[in-house]
Parts: sequence; C-alpha cells; structure tokens
Amino acid sequence: MISQRQTTHRLAAYAVFCVVILLVPLFVSDAYLLNKFARYIVFGILSLALSLSWGYAGILNLGQAVSFGLGSYCMAMALKLRTIPIQTGAGGLPDFMVWNNVHTLPWFWEPFHSYAFTLFAGLAVPAVIAFLIGWFIFRARVSGVYVAIITLAMLVVINLVIIDQQRYTGGFNGITDLTTFKLFGVEFGAYSVATYYLAAVILTLLLFLGLALMNSKTGLILQAIRDDETRVRYFGYDVANYQNFIFCVSAAVAGLAGMLYTLVMEFASPTFLAVPISLSIVIWCAVGGRASLLGAALGAIVVTGVQGSLSDSKTFLDTWMLIMGALFIVVVLFLPNGLISIGDVIRGRRQRRRRAAPARMPEHAEIAAPGRSAAR
Amino acid sequence: MKINRRNFLKGTAAAGVAAATGFPHIWIKNASLAYAAGGEIKVGVLYSLTGTTAIIETSLNHATIMAIEEINAAGGINGMKVVPVVEDPASDPATFAEKARRLVVGEKCVSVFGSYTSASRKAVLPVFEKYHNLYWYPTLYEGRECSTNVIYTGAVPNQQQKDFIPWLIKNFGKKFYLIGSNYIYPKEENNVCKILLKRLGGEVVGEEYVPLGHSEFSAVINKFKETQPNVIFSTVVGDSVVALHRQYKAAGLNPKKMPMASLTTSEDEVAAMGGEFGAGHFTSAPYFMSYDSPENHRFVEAFKKRWGKDKTTNFVSEPAYFQVHLFRQAVAKLGKGDITPPQIRKAAWGQEYKAPEGLVKIDPKNSHTYLWPKIGEWQASGQAKIIEESKEWVEPLPYWAYPGQVCTPTGMVEKKS
Repeated sequence: MISQRQTTHRLAAYAVFCVVILLVPLFVSDAYLLNKFARYIVFGILSLALSLSWGYAGILNLGQAVSFGLGSYCMAMALKLRTIPIQTGAGGLPDFMVWNNVHTLPWFWEPFHSYAFTLFAGLAVPAVIAFLIGWFIFRARVSGVYVAIITLAMLVVINLVIIDQQRYTGGFNGITDLTTFKLFGVEFGAYSVATYYLAAVILTLLLFLGLALMNSKTGLILQAIRDDETRVRYFGYDVANYQNFIFCVSAAVAGLAGMLYTLVMEFASPTFLAVPISLSIVIWCAVGGRASLLGAALGAIVVTGVQGSLSDSKTFLDTWMLIMGALFIVVVLFLPNGLISIGDVIRGRRQRRRRAAPARMPEHAEIAAPGRSAAR
Repeated sequence: MKINRRNFLKGTAAAGVAAATGFPHIWIKNASLAYAAGGEIKVGVLYSLTGTTAIIETSLNHATIMAIEEINAAGGINGMKVVPVVEDPASDPATFAEKARRLVVGEKCVSVFGSYTSASRKAVLPVFEKYHNLYWYPTLYEGRECSTNVIYTGAVPNQQQKDFIPWLIKNFGKKFYLIGSNYIYPKEENNVCKILLKRLGGEVVGEEYVPLGHSEFSAVINKFKETQPNVIFSTVVGDSVVALHRQYKAAGLNPKKMPMASLTTSEDEVAAMGGEFGAGHFTSAPYFMSYDSPENHRFVEAFKKRWGKDKTTNFVSEPAYFQVHLFRQAVAKLGKGDITPPQIRKAAWGQEYKAPEGLVKIDPKNSHTYLWPKIGEWQASGQAKIIEESKEWVEPLPYWAYPGQVCTPTGMVEKKS
C-alpha cells in the first residue's frame, strides 16, 4: 500500500498534468493543432479506460476498441440524423441508406433523434455489451491470455457485422457527412476550443475519479484480484462481480472517448473498432505505464504525438514506423512499468551506484520486482 | 510499488513538458500565411505508403511526384515552383483525416492529391468542405457523389460499363454471375450492371459479396459450376482478386467459356497472381499499360526510369499522373493573387489534357472527367491486349443509374421532371 505522502504527491502530479492540458488553448490558436491535440486527449481517455481494467484489475481486454467504436457510432448516428441530406432535403433518410435502397428509418435509429438518449447510449451500449461478455468470461473464471483471445474475437465479430450491415451502418465507409454537435447553445465543432476543453475537462475528471475509485475499497480489492485472484476468492469476495464491474466501467469510459472522437474526427468508421487501434491502446498503456491512470493517458498522448510528428516530417517519411517500433522495444526493455516509472528507474540506478558492490544482489531483486508484476 | 515523490514529480513534469514541446509547430502561429506565398505553390500528396493498400497507393504517390517533378523541371507554373507536401496516412481513414487537416489547415496547400479507397475519401471530405479546399481523387469509384470540393479523375460506372456489358453479351452470352467484395463500390457497380442487363435482356444467375480480404472461393466456384453463367462479372478487390483467379484455374474452369469480366483487375493484380492465372480474362478500364499512344510510351518510360524497371503503371496511377497536369493548366490561368482552391476549381473546369489514355477533359457540370474506356484481355505476359476502345470520349455521369438525380456545379440537385 502507498503512504499518505505518496498519495499527496501523486495527486500533485495528476494536477500538474491536468493544468498543463487545460492551459494548452492559451498558447495554441491554430485550429489544426487544437484539433490534433484534442484527438490525442481522446486517445488519452481511451488508454485510461484500458488502464482501469488491465493495469488495476489484470484484465487484458484486447477488444477495448469495441466500446470505443460503439460510442463513436452512437454519436455519429445522432449527428447524422440532424444532417440535412443533400439528395432528399430535410426529413430524408441518411444518404447511405438511400444508396442502399432502404426506405424507412430502422427502429434502432429512431431514439437517436434525442441527444439525451444518445449520450446515455454512448455509455450504456458499450457497458451492456461488456457486461454480457464479462458475465460469461468471469463466471467461468476465464483469466489471463484467454480473456485477451475472447475479447479480440468479439472485436473481430462486431467489426465484421458492422461492415456487413452497410444498409444500417454505412459499412466500410462508416457514417460520414455529419452536422456539428450542439449542446446548451455551445457548438462543439471539430476545430473549436470548446471541443478541446470538453475533452480535456473529461480527461481531468476521469483521472481524479479513477484515482478515487482505485483508492476506495473496491479499487483495493480489484488490485488484490490482479495480484492473486484465488486468495481474494478465499477471503469470501465475489471475484467475478468485481471483475465485471471494472470491465463495464472501462467499457463506458471507452464509449465516452468514442463519442468525443466522433466530434473531433467528424465521422465514424469501422476502423475505429478494428484490430489495429485496439492493439494500439495496449501499446499506449504499456508505454505510458498501465498501472497508473496518468501513465496510461500520457502514454497515449506521447505515442500518438511522436507518431504524428515523425510521420509528418520529411526525413522520417519512410522510416517512421521503424522508429516507433524501436521506441516500443526500448521502453519495454528498459522501462517495463512505462514512461511514468522513469523516476523510479533513475532513483534505482542512483542508489545502486551509491551502494557498495556486495549490496548489489538484493538491490537488483528489488528493481526487478515491479517488472515482474508488470509481466503478468 | 515504491515511488520517490520528487523524482516521480520531476519525471511526470518532464514528460508533460516533452509531450507539449515535442510537436515542433506548437509555437508557430501560421494561420495568417497566404496560399502560394514566396513564389511556391504548396500541394498535398496524400497516399498511403504503409498499411493494407500501400502497394497500389505507393504507385499513385510515385505518379504524382513524377508529374510534379516534370512541371518543376519545365520551369514550374508561371515561374512558381510546385512544392509537394508528402504524407503517409497509413491506410487508415482516421489518419487520412488527420493528415488532410494538416495539409489543408496547417500547411495551407492549395490542393491535395490523394486517396485510393472511397472510405478514405469520405473521411477527408469534411475537411475540404469546411475549408473550401480542393481534393483531386484519381480512383475509379462508384459515383453517386457530387462534392463541390473534389475533382474526380477516375472512371464512374457508366464509363466502365456502358460498352463493356453489351460487348460481353454479344461475345459470350446473357447469363451473368455477379461477384464482388462486400462494400459500397461493388454493390453500386452491380446496381448499374443489373440495369444494363435488364435493358439488354440479360439475366443475373447469382449475386454474391465476400468480405474484404476474403481468400477462400471454393464455395463460390461451386456455384459457378452449378449455375453455369456465360460471364462472371467481378468487382472483387485487392488480394481477393489474386485468390479468386488462382482458385478459378485450379478448379479447371475455362476462361474461353466462362470468362471473368472485371472492373478492378489491373496490371498490379495480374502481376501478383501470375500472368497465366489472369490470361483470358477481361477488364474494362480507360487505361492499360500496353496502350499504344505516344503519350503513353513517354509516360511508361518516364515512370520506369524514375521508379525502377520492374514498376508497372495502371488505371489508377495514370489519372494520378494526368490530374497533376490538369492542375498545372488550371493554375497557369490564374494571376498570382488568385491562386486559391475555389479559383483553381473554376479554372479546372473544362480543362483538356492529352493524357496517356487519350485527350481527357474535366466536365464543368460535375467535376468528373471525360475518359476513354477500353476493353483489355489479359495475356500470360501480365499485360492486357486491347480488344476494343471507345471511338469517342465518354461523358462522366455519376448519377447515371438514378434518373431524376443529377450532379451540378453547386452540388447534387433533384431534377424537376
């Protein structure tokens, strides 16, 4: 367990990060950059969502993008219904439905006329699906790599269904040509400061709520489950319930990120719930430090930021993927707990240097310990 | 986990600062930069160099870069150099959107040449519409789009099918089996095909869509054997084309009796499957590498010289090449202060250029392009023998299959009947 002082300092670190992201619009007025940073922050939220389940409860969800994509589609459906189709005029069906010879709006599109329902659905649909999957996984005491396989398979299935049902989902092209989201008189355009703040404030709230959750009794039990599931079960806790709870919370948070992503990107696409992005989330988490909400969020921002800058620069146009790969390997080898643990590692090195040679062995074991738990 | 507070804090703060300053342009407020400043015309080049469609899109990137180099070698446009800003959108629609934003909003390009898939075009459209920029799209596509911010230089269904379907019926028969990949393009092409077949008294004996990237066609081939169509009309794309052709041959089917007639098989797919698997099948497209014209000989030769002897040109890379020259002609008409995307669009309307496939023209009515459809029969050499070619250029009609709808310079409007 961590001491009071450590908690205080951790809070301070979180606060510094939040202040930094909230101050960004004061220095950046360029619409393109603001939009880009908003996108990174959405990835930060998504990565944080995985950190909740993977970093804190040991559930490696390779299908996190399902929740993200469904959230994104919910928002896109609502915005699509508010777009006046160019062919048919106001009140017409969404354009891709006309292309696919659909004549009436499908029943499950109807409730998306309401923003209240949409916002609810963007959280609830991913959570309910996660609950159903989680119910089977955790009741059956499936754990470890099998959870990863099942969630990955679910991701592929849902992705295929969405592409196949193009009459209702827009298929491979996704849902494009959307109007601007407007709530309480504020327009959340893709390039607006409002959208950036919306994302940044949500990330801030989630960081602190997540921290509070993980320091509550439930959070401690979850971390105990991560470290030794059987033991917690023998203490009399219903392990499956706790696991499913955090699995659903994580899904809802990812759904929220998905809704924001639609605002930032101005479309929804089946690639939002495809394998590459789902694996990227795991990488962000691992690079930043999955056992820390801040680490996970930072990981996403740093990785996508570096990726964006590298592939933008002329020099690295042909090699940016290689460099990214090398970076990942370096981080995993030397910072198994992610970038967030860089302070730890430096401290460990210093102490090792300070101590005499005979003390080397136990010291080494001490440093190795967090790495081992990370490999779980 | 033990954490040293001070170092933890330092580390976090350092990472935060690094994250904020890692992006080189953060402090640069270039919002006031005008288009075509400093005697340079900046254009975006947005084709994937990595990811699933990298092979074909790299050839588009090459064709575009080559055209830009040609223009600059000849002194630029009115003395101004064309500067390409090359991006790698990694075959991912979201990355396409991000990179398009950088090109349009960040870099202030006057035009962007890009996209192979419809999905990526749809993903970048909001950016171009919002900032009134111009996107040059070289790929044949399903039509039914009419953005005022796109110049379409690839074929639409009426251009590829109008002569092809009657020719197939005349030479092989009326029974068609439609097979395509499962997305909007094949479905739309088949919509058009069915209308044409109905008019000509043809018959559809089967219609099937396989998932993108599908590579197991034995069930489909059994259906071919069962229904015995005269023509297999294929709009399968990508790697699936290779698998379909190989398994077709392995199943002992004969292209002389039941040929595959494709809108999507190009020199690249045939090279990937091996010439003997493609031999005897047909493709309809405005351009084939083997087309005999002085412009095409020059194009193919220059392409090989610039990018490698083994490189092929195809019906997507050719428009990717000539659209840059159309862009040049449009910009050449404008005064220095007038070089803005909307002005370029206006100037581009009606432009004609002697392309490798023949004289092409941008239709001022709908921003699509007049093209020269041809029918090619694939040979074991991997090249197509051109059997038929259109006697005159064919007008682009993106809403051909939908009477009552028509594309206009201000976007689609319903025709009042």
